[in-house]
Amino acid sequence: MFRFQSLDEDCTLEEEDTGLVEEEDEIDQFNDDTFGAGAIDDDWQEEHKRLAGLDKRDGPGAELGLEVGGMGGESDLGRGEDSSSTHLLSSAGHLPLPSILPSLKFASSSSGLAPPDMEDRGRGGDLAESLARLILEADPAIAGVGAAERPSPSRSSLSTLQGLDRPRVLPQPPSIPHATQPHQHSHHPQHQLPPGPSASSLPPGPPSSSLLSYQQQQHLMRRGTAPMAQMNSHSIWESSMGFGPVSLTPGLVTHMEDSPLMSIIKEVGLPKRPPQGRIDEGRDLSERVPPPRSSSPVIGSPPVRAVPIGTPPKQPMSHALNHQIHHPTAVHVRAPVQHRFPPPFPERVSPNTLLNIANSPLCRGPFPPGVGPVLSQIQRAQLLNSQVAGFPRGGPGPPLLPGCGGGFRPFFGGPPPPLGHRMGPPPHGHLNHTPPIRHNTTHLHPQHRRMLTQRMQNQGGDRCRTIGDRRSRDPYSNLMTQKEKEWVTKIQMMQLQSTDPYLDDYYYQNYYEKMEKRQERERDSSKKEHTTKLITPQVAKVEHTYRPVQFAGSLGKLTVSSVNNPRKMIDAVVTTRTDDEEKREKQVWNKRRQILYTVEKMYSLLLEVQDFEKRFVQAPEEDREALLEQQKTNTMQLCNSLREKEWDDRVSDEKCVMIMSVRKGKRLISRLLPLLPSPQAAAVVMAISRNIPAIAKKDKQDQVLCWLMEPVSAVIQSMSSSALTDLLQELQGSEGQLVTVLHNKFGVTLLYLILSEGERMQSSDPNCQLMDDNRWTELVFSVTRELLSVPSSSLSPPLFTPTNLLSLFSRYVDRQRLELLQDKLQITSLSR
Amino acid sequence: MLFYSFFKSLVGKDVVVELKNDLSICGALHSVDQYLNIKLTDISVTDPEKYPHMLSVKNCFIRGSVVRYVQLPADEVDTQLLQDAARKEAMQQKQ
Repeated sequence: MFRFQSLDEDCTLEEEDTGLVEEEDEIDQFNDDTFGAGAIDDDWQEEHKRLAGLDKRDGPGAELGLEVGGMGGESDLGRGEDSSSTHLLSSAGHLPLPSILPSLKFASSSSGLAPPDMEDRGRGGDLAESLARLILEADPAIAGVGAAERPSPSRSSLSTLQGLDRPRVLPQPPSIPHATQPHQHSHHPQHQLPPGPSASSLPPGPPSSSLLSYQQQQHLMRRGTAPMAQMNSHSIWESSMGFGPVSLTPGLVTHMEDSPLMSIIKEVGLPKRPPQGRIDEGRDLSERVPPPRSSSPVIGSPPVRAVPIGTPPKQPMSHALNHQIHHPTAVHVRAPVQHRFPPPFPERVSPNTLLNIANSPLCRGPFPPGVGPVLSQIQRAQLLNSQVAGFPRGGPGPPLLPGCGGGFRPFFGGPPPPLGHRMGPPPHGHLNHTPPIRHNTTHLHPQHRRMLTQRMQNQGGDRCRTIGDRRSRDPYSNLMTQKEKEWVTKIQMMQLQSTDPYLDDYYYQNYYEKMEKRQERERDSSKKEHTTKLITPQVAKVEHTYRPVQFAGSLGKLTVSSVNNPRKMIDAVVTTRTDDEEKREKQVWNKRRQILYTVEKMYSLLLEVQDFEKRFVQAPEEDREALLEQQKTNTMQLCNSLREKEWDDRVSDEKCVMIMSVRKGKRLISRLLPLLPSPQAAAVVMAISRNIPAIAKKDKQDQVLCWLMEPVSAVIQSMSSSALTDLLQELQGSEGQLVTVLHNKFGVTLLYLILSEGERMQSSDPNCQLMDDNRWTELVFSVTRELLSVPSSSLSPPLFTPTNLLSLFSRYVDRQRLELLQDKLQITSLSR
Repeated sequence: MLFYSFFKSLVGKDVVVELKNDLSICGALHSVDQYLNIKLTDISVTDPEKYPHMLSVKNCFIRGSVVRYVQLPADEVDTQLLQDAARKEAMQQKQ
């Protein structure tokens, strides 16, 4: 399966790096690190080549010479850094070593074949000896196996081997296929080396090379070979990274121990290598590895973490104990405080990072003193057996997290039930403490929080006792450590991190804002509480675009997917149909759908206009101009949509009626009216009053015209006297229209409003133009006539009766009629 | 996130949750999450005789996927705001 350079072929120095390409079919099952931490895509072919290729050189000195030359440690070879080299070599890899031995022995035995550069070094048979000694000294495992068989290599040759072996360091799982190669090699020259170590003499325990995680090795390999002079003289047991220029931080050493990979290795040991058959010798020189990448190797994967995101926290039982006992906090809901959040993190934070943030709430234990420690398994079992199931409501849970950035709006209103209360001895003393406290990781609106605390306080008194009983019998306590709970919470909260909390949380925020405004209006202004605002933390929006990797000169792109950049399967392009097509299609639809469609379009514009103010305040200076412009455009568009044709200045009756025939449309108009410029608004109101009969008819089912009352009254109050007169005229319209108007609640109310406004104008402003022409007077006369003639039963009661109607009528009608009107309309002098 | 936001505003209110197995649970909404899992406190089953096993249960956690209906107090819901939120969401999706 593997191909190597034949012994007979001339291996040139250049080919050493590019020569061997693997026909590696085995998928590396052990390296399925899908959480991104290990998903460093590197060219395994290249790596393998470099690592394994060195062994395969059966050409004796030629290989070594090549390797040494390739490693570039020429000048250092002569140095006798004995101790360091010893350690380094052993740390470099036990597995390749045995196979090197044979090749080394080749070198020693066939020195005549050595290329000139080998001769320069004057290695000779020393290599094998030094190697063997190294092995013996460094690794007891190997030493125990094949001690007697190996000659002691000379020291000076060790340095060359270091150069050889350093890049070959690999953790066991990924390197198994690679590592098997050297072993195969070892079979190869076996006949020439009777005492050579057998393939099976592998160290079963964790070799120090495997202590290094995959990515660390990759680091090493990427850096290439470094001059050996930089090797540190650490013992392998102190640090497995001792042999290289340290680009690996010392921190990694500690992380190494946490690496699940390592723990697996420690527990399981190395998997056995399947015995390999004899390897093919022919190496295909035409197979070349692709040239170095033309783009960055780390595609969309998060920065390498030694601890992948998915790892659960460790179990420091003793620490948890200390935490709880020494850092008690009574976390309770305080009066709403405006939280100050740190600036958003540049990227999303993982649970482990969140846990490690310096902010205290997470570090402290949440429970007051007296709460029992986390129990061991036996204790838990005992507790469970002896207790009745049940959990308290709202026991102390994870503390508030105001300080943690990375906007999360966690969903836990409180801890999940089993977390409820940690029990050691039942804390009877807690019976008379505050009512069940709601510990939240949720960012509640201060108003909301107030409501909740009130509610709880009301209900808390009677429940205290029962909860105390329940608490004393909680069998589900202490199943998880605090850290674990927080870790689970953080993972879930990560999903709630939002780049735009206003949009994502639109309903909640607006609902409570409205509620506050309502409450402020209802309460008298003497109790002035300023409106509390909900501040939600925000995560900065980072664009992660997937750029597929491409090698220079290759066809197509390589897709390497990790959990953070899943493969792009389809190139989905959004095609929006043009307006022409839409118009054509619309003609096919029925009218109602058309109306609804128009209404929805207007709504989106309306919402944009309404949001304008908020956005304006938040926008930086340079954006404000653009925002203003957009605001005007939107308003324009809204106005245009009410007109018949774009260039026509008048508001289209037809359109208005159309829109008003739909319930949604009425709502829309009621929200739209305040935003329109006043002439337009007036025109709309006129159109409405002109068509009240039709509108009223359509409204029979919905009865929602009254929504319009408020905005319409606002419009009327801003109208001029002439406009008002016109309006009244419109309302009366043709013959009989007034009757219909009077039948309808909205119509009656509208009429009253108009009259009342006229009265107000007259009484407040002496030289009001209302009386300039007789129109107003005449209109009022006709109205009163109608009012009197209409039977009482058909006169619908208005929404409200303005107070100044009586004074109005008293101007125009005689006493008798006035009294009649009073009776009919039930306007009394009291209502003034 | 629309309904998550919506339910968040109802936290603390009394609701009746009808599950797909026809069990109806009345309780105060304690919390909700992005999957619309619901936690209720002080629950009572509308038909206790049919579900006697629920007699002793005070608080419960309901997985969001098993909910059929949630009956809400009408005065706690602002339908207009809900419609606006839906429109906004639709606009966002379009972009």
